[in-house]
Amino acid sequence: MRNVTALFFGPVRELVGAGSMTLAVDPPFTGDAAFEALAARFPALRPWRGSLRLAVNREYVPFERVLDAGDEISFLPPVSGG
Amino acid sequence: MVAVTSDPINVDLILRDLGTARTGGIDIFIGTVRDTNEGKSVGSIEYTAYVPMAEEQMRRIESEIRVRWPVENVTIVHRIGLLRVGEISVVTAAGAPHRAEAFEACRYAIERVKADVPIWKKEFAPLVG
Repeated sequence: MRNVTALFFGPVRELVGAGSMTLAVDPPFTGDAAFEALAARFPALRPWRGSLRLAVNREYVPFERVLDAGDEISFLPPVSGG
Repeated sequence: MVAVTSDPINVDLILRDLGTARTGGIDIFIGTVRDTNEGKSVGSIEYTAYVPMAEEQMRRIESEIRVRWPVENVTIVHRIGLLRVGEISVVTAAGAPHRAEAFEACRYAIERVKADVPIWKKEFAPLVG
């Protein structure tokens, strides 16, 4: 198990009801595994999966990325700035 | 210069910082809060951001622009917080020796902001009464 800090923004933040939390990620410690850990607690997130982008330490990365303990991750909903 | 700010955006200050002796033209895009979206009336918009990542993405966009066009200066500023109709939400600008690269760089900046910078808007209907 690896603990990462997950940050939430926009509609995902409203759905989770928090700005951040510690997530315990199971093997294989990927972004997908982190999403699974979060979706187990917040099943309403599952339909969002296809539109979310993963950021690790403030960089967009694929969901296959293997996370390190202590990483700052975020599942970003479609951006709507401008 | 790139920034995410909760203060009102001052276009005069941005323009003052953009020009140099080698600048022949400045192109500026100013995004403002519109009173309708998808058929619904809008009274205000709340913008939120993943601020450190947003500023890193903006710096990346600036770097990409400097590789592609011979610009002297690039500015990308996005405001966050609650904005009313008509207020400025975003400014992208480029100063360059010639207008063609200034226009292209400025357009590139706003399109990349809208695609990749982690900022979100939430619209609120006007207060009635």
